[in-house]
Amino acid sequence: MGSNSRNFGLMEMSAIREMSNIGLGHATTALANVTGKAFNMEVPNVETMTLEQVPFMMGDPEAVAVGICMPIEGDISGHTAFLFPWESAQALWKMLIGYAPETPDQIDELAASAMLEIGNIVSSSFLNAISDLSGLKLHATPPMVSVDLVYTIAATIVAEAEIGEAVALALETRLYGLEDSAITGYFLCVPTMSGLNQLFSALGIPEAA
Amino acid sequence: MSVGNQLHVGMSEIKVVKGPAVFTCLGLGSCIGLVAIDEQADVCGMIHIMLPQAFRDKPIDKPGKFADTGIPELIAQMEKLGASRTRLVMAYAGGAQVFKFGSDSASRMDVGARNGEAVARILKVMGARVVAYDVGGSSGRTVIVNSVDGLVRVRTVQSGEKPLCGIRRANRGVAA
Repeated sequence: MGSNSRNFGLMEMSAIREMSNIGLGHATTALANVTGKAFNMEVPNVETMTLEQVPFMMGDPEAVAVGICMPIEGDISGHTAFLFPWESAQALWKMLIGYAPETPDQIDELAASAMLEIGNIVSSSFLNAISDLSGLKLHATPPMVSVDLVYTIAATIVAEAEIGEAVALALETRLYGLEDSAITGYFLCVPTMSGLNQLFSALGIPEAA
Repeated sequence: MSVGNQLHVGMSEIKVVKGPAVFTCLGLGSCIGLVAIDEQADVCGMIHIMLPQAFRDKPIDKPGKFADTGIPELIAQMEKLGASRTRLVMAYAGGAQVFKFGSDSASRMDVGARNGEAVARILKVMGARVVAYDVGGSSGRTVIVNSVDGLVRVRTVQSGEKPLCGIRRANRGVAA
């Protein structure tokens, strides 16, 4: 998998950071519009990593998490995913639907669809923002949700991504509601290598040697 | 039974040991963990397979990543420690579709199913002796194998830990 590790230049990294901030900024606004609640989203940390590192991005790989995976189609293919540690997912549910499942097997239809909707909103507004910036066509496809170990969710996305030879960008996000404590989530963007290069060139960033 | 030699078999890894060891494949989602043992030679090995088939047009950096290159490599490494392929007994688990909520998720993320089919096909062609397998479904599996008693256990978030089978003759009767 060594071929998937790639060092980004300064310009590329700052472009990634900028796009992430703009993309997730749009996503936050969309989320606020849909839920009627004020949100604030911070992106304290953006990292590029090899696919092998992805299962360890949230710390304990054996912790239970909720993962929303959204394959990307269009000029660039790949996957985006949002991972929430279980406690954060519960806080998010309380914010969205007023209650939270106590254990993973108590997730009902409403709780599942709330997470699918979060995925829809965040991913499509994120991709729209990047489309607007780059002029490339990017579409989010319907999201899918899993509740399992961080390692299991991440490894499954990585296996799908391996087929297309991808590179991983992990964005640590903090989502704040007005009266609630912070919800920590990890937004993962896994474009194919060729897709990412295409994005850089659409943004006018010369290819780093 | 406590065994000092704890081995974590990460994505695309192959580990083989002569003598006592506990192998763990953590949180297999679409991946498959396959264990093989030669009781007579006291050699046990495990592989953590990610994808069904190696890419034809690319060099293979890690044979353990793919079912078609990894299973022969596992056997070759076991043979180097004195195992005989004709005596190998195997078990495997994984190949789930963990994204169970969402429209058409099973057909859109199908690596797990394809891994399960590939492993079954390869083992059938080889004429391998498979004691038990636990594939598919929507739960990630952690697979733990103790080479001393030959017990294979599967742990999931939903159901906790359960025995899958025994790959040593003494515990062959153990079944899920």
